[in-house]
Amino acid sequence: MQVFLQTFIGGVSLGAIYALVALGFSLVYRTMGLVNFAHGNVVTVGAYLASTFYLSTKLPFALAMLVAILLTGAIGLVIERVLRPLENRDFDLMLIGTIGFGIVLDALIIMIWGATGRAVPSPVPAAPLELFGVRIRTYDLVVLAIAATATVLLVFFLSRTKRGAAMQAVAMDHEAATAVGIHVGRSNAVAFMIGAGLAALAGGLVGPLLYVSPAMGGALGIKGFAAAILGGFGSIPGAVVGGLAIGVLDSFTAGHFQGYSELVTFLVFTVIIVIRPTGVFGERTVNRA
Amino acid sequence: MSRHRAAASISAVAVLAVVLATGCSAPGADEKSAADDTGPIKIAVADAQSGQLSSLGAWELKGARLAVDEWNKAGGINGRQIELGVFDTQADPTIGTNLARKIASEKYIAMIGTAESAVTIAMAPILKQEAIPNITSGQSPGLVAVKSEFLFLNGPTSTTYDETLAKYIVDTQGIKSIALITNNGSFGKGEHDAFSKALSARGVTPVADQVVTTDQKDFSAALTTIRQKNPKVIFLGAEEVESGLIVKQARDLGITVPFAGAAPQGTPVFLDTAGAANAEGTIVSSPYLSNDVSEASKKFAAAYKAAYNEEAELHGAKAYDGTQIMLTALKNSNVATGKPLADAIRATKYEGLLGSFAYDETGVGIFATSIGTISNGKLVPAAG
Repeated sequence: MQVFLQTFIGGVSLGAIYALVALGFSLVYRTMGLVNFAHGNVVTVGAYLASTFYLSTKLPFALAMLVAILLTGAIGLVIERVLRPLENRDFDLMLIGTIGFGIVLDALIIMIWGATGRAVPSPVPAAPLELFGVRIRTYDLVVLAIAATATVLLVFFLSRTKRGAAMQAVAMDHEAATAVGIHVGRSNAVAFMIGAGLAALAGGLVGPLLYVSPAMGGALGIKGFAAAILGGFGSIPGAVVGGLAIGVLDSFTAGHFQGYSELVTFLVFTVIIVIRPTGVFGERTVNRA
Repeated sequence: MSRHRAAASISAVAVLAVVLATGCSAPGADEKSAADDTGPIKIAVADAQSGQLSSLGAWELKGARLAVDEWNKAGGINGRQIELGVFDTQADPTIGTNLARKIASEKYIAMIGTAESAVTIAMAPILKQEAIPNITSGQSPGLVAVKSEFLFLNGPTSTTYDETLAKYIVDTQGIKSIALITNNGSFGKGEHDAFSKALSARGVTPVADQVVTTDQKDFSAALTTIRQKNPKVIFLGAEEVESGLIVKQARDLGITVPFAGAAPQGTPVFLDTAGAANAEGTIVSSPYLSNDVSEASKKFAAAYKAAYNEEAELHGAKAYDGTQIMLTALKNSNVATGKPLADAIRATKYEGLLGSFAYDETGVGIFATSIGTISNGKLVPAAG
């Protein structure tokens, strides 16, 4: 029982990070119908920016995160601006464009911060809490709280604000949205910016849990992408459920199958997707291809 | 023109002499040797310069470059400068094999690296076919199993590391309650097998034997299982970053017993990732415990610090030793290539930072490590 609970908790904390990564993927996808393959690299950029402001500039962790999110959001805007001429024209080129951006970001990271990584000390140094023999890291609670807040804010933005409603409209039918005077390009830009901001949030939060290196975004990106698919690509609650599911699944397969855990995780994932191709929430808002 | 031809024939004679002396050259293995004997001597450094294991590649390159710079400053070999070509393997065996072909086609006569046994094993058949001697920093027993006469190690194998470690933990400290956590990569698997063998030779069965994957991030399940068995010490077989994450998470889960392991646990990356307080008491088996062990290591550490403004550590020292051996062999053989160069490396006796090198038939040149512990954030020789 103790192993079960501890494994579950370990899975949930990384699952919250996967959920944030998945949210970024899903938000861009539901708005533009585009899979942003540079998303994993944007996570790495966010992690490096946050750790740089936290470690080198010695800003408080929360402030360092905020600056990192704003700067990374700006990078999202740049990516969208460069890809904009291709919007609604050549979808495959746009996909390849995001892959290209991923490679560029990867190279930039290595040029600026070097190929070796850095360890980020935990900003919450308090000892882990002990409940019924299960230990919970205080920092994990912080991560969960921030991830939950970010999700609530995002849902609120999409359903309760004018700009959010406009983005929903573009997601449903971009031509009709244009007809009623919504600027599709601007809507896409906001989606990209928020997506990149979420990536920076995920990267900054995961830094103290892991080791910030140019390769970190790759693994997180793949798990986050799988999480988005599992939950139903484009669905906001789906991204959250998918992220937590992948995190917990990963933790349990690691316990039971040890060296073969990765294989089992993705086998289970494949079986679920074969049974339910649209994912748990099965929402399909966009079909522009 | 005639002078060139004279030089060519002299070195051809020299090569022939070496071949005759060793008397076991494969036919055709040394044909290229006399073809290119002017201009710089080209040596490749193949290592991960990007990716999660790039710190290894960075240290290796620094160690190798330091050795080459020393030789170049002293006038090179036979008046020829040594040129290092850097190749990024990204710690990926597939990229490694492509680079092996590239290194051969660009006429590099020898290779330093890689730091990952799996990559080196993947490259070995091509390097053997092209007769390019290679001094690797890998330590997996699998390297010896390749049985290439062109493959040499610049340190001991896992067998030596883990035999020394088991001897210290079981025989000296009398600890019999030991748990294992290793990854399923080439290095982790080698460590697992070598340490298990050393334990079973002493009649000790590990209380837990957990295997993780190389890019796993959450170790709750494995560590909680280990915690329930209450071991006195936990053997750790994973690379620097993963080892650090495992130790950090273990402390968060309330595991207080020390970890024990080989080379990765003695590095600054491990210390940073785990956090100095979490890594306190870690038992390390390493052929190069600190920069203060000998006059040679002090001199090396000073030169390293002057060149790169950072503290020297094991991997840089290993690559430095390996490169020194390669260059000494080149000098002794009058810049031979192919089989004669491999034989010259095998014949080289070298007093290095890690100890006295004397290669045997398997390509291993050194068979001892020492035990250290991490105390106050520094690796120091273990007492007793």
